[in-house]
Amino acid sequence: MLKALFQILIFPGVLFLFVFGLCGEFIDRKLCARFQNRIGPPWFQPLADFIKLVSKEEIIPEEADIKVFKLMPVLALTASSVSILYIPTLAERSAFSFNGDVIVVLYLLTLPTFTYFLGGWYSRGVYSMIGAVRSLTQLFAYEVPLFLVILASALLADTWSLSGMVAFYSRHLGYWFCNIIGFGVALICFLGKLEKVPFDIPEAETEIVAGSFTEYNGRLLALIRTSFNIEMIVGASLLAAVFLPFGLNLWPALIFPFYLLQVLFIIVIITFLRLLFARLRLDQMISFCWRFLAPLAFLQVILNLIFKAVLPR
Amino acid sequence: MGMISKIINWSRLKSPWVLHFNTGACNACDIEIIAALTPSYDLERFGVVLKATPRHADVLLCSGPVTKQIESRLVRIYEQMPEPKFVVAIGSCACSGGVFNGCYNVAGGINSVIPVSAYIPGCPASPKAIIDGVVKLLRSLETKERKSGGKK
Repeated sequence: MLKALFQILIFPGVLFLFVFGLCGEFIDRKLCARFQNRIGPPWFQPLADFIKLVSKEEIIPEEADIKVFKLMPVLALTASSVSILYIPTLAERSAFSFNGDVIVVLYLLTLPTFTYFLGGWYSRGVYSMIGAVRSLTQLFAYEVPLFLVILASALLADTWSLSGMVAFYSRHLGYWFCNIIGFGVALICFLGKLEKVPFDIPEAETEIVAGSFTEYNGRLLALIRTSFNIEMIVGASLLAAVFLPFGLNLWPALIFPFYLLQVLFIIVIITFLRLLFARLRLDQMISFCWRFLAPLAFLQVILNLIFKAVLPR
Repeated sequence: MGMISKIINWSRLKSPWVLHFNTGACNACDIEIIAALTPSYDLERFGVVLKATPRHADVLLCSGPVTKQIESRLVRIYEQMPEPKFVVAIGSCACSGGVFNGCYNVAGGINSVIPVSAYIPGCPASPKAIIDGVVKLLRSLETKERKSGGKK
């Protein structure tokens, strides 16, 4: 009981994710600044933003549904931080691993997007409603290829548990090359999930102010920002567990630093991508996802079926 | 309590998010504000981020004399910002109405409509002057909060 509480609240639960999420946000912003030849924010910037937002006055729009408006950020934070419990961090086996936890994690990571939709919709602002609809429309475009490539990776490993996949790919190091297309597809879909630049259509600042979060302020905005950070960390951990050779059969003490390195590697790649591209239109994004990403994901599934028949187990 | 209010005060000084609002300026001050936010001046060093909605903002950067038409909108935007909030008047017109003071369609400077915390004169105020003004505003808040024990 005490151990479970520790795992949920401190490591690898809420506290660890919160701190790591702030670090991730800092790395993202600092790299962005360095690429633009600026000095960039100091290391405590995300923390200062968080404390400031928490201490601000809270305004709730008159027409908003107060219950939904207040509940949704909490739900987003909960969903994104619970899913880390099924992803291996400290050892090859995660805290609450069981066969089928890949599906649970994928669903838990979809939940925040729905909460952003509901929160935006029920705040009854014009911009937030447009942003909410856009985020849901975008969801249907990137979610299918993302699920398919993770399914493909699970097919090759012949297990539905993340810990099992990690164990399999650590035992057969060469096999992760088979998933290289899948890794690319998953990275691009992940940008859509985090609403980062080529796919930041739901919160396009120059068009619709801040999307679903236009009406949010103070504490609730702080929760939303934190849940975005945590989603970034959890998603990166998921990609690391599925697509990168996780522990490399290392000494157990080295697994955790190696995990941190992998997550940081994925965050850095995502920052590069978001700085490289400009925002797409919603229809361009959807046609890109269905025309290129989905067929590539199908190709990965077929390839993995062939690999599974051909390669030795 | 002292420790917590100190931390909160520190965080407020370190992350002022700004909202830029043109109350009827000729665009010169707006161009200078935008210039101050570009990479060459790098205001993100001080935690300044440009926000598009008053609900996320702490500091309202106003430029230009308040025209009669925009008066009620300015008040509305000011009221949409959550406390604690500050207003900075940028440019001579924003400070006092400038050459437009007394015009049939002008209500006056920003302070004739909403309370202003800092005035940055200049026609137009240069980016360096704007940064200097914002830093001075933050510094004055620091000393004020020390005197009043952390209350706004």
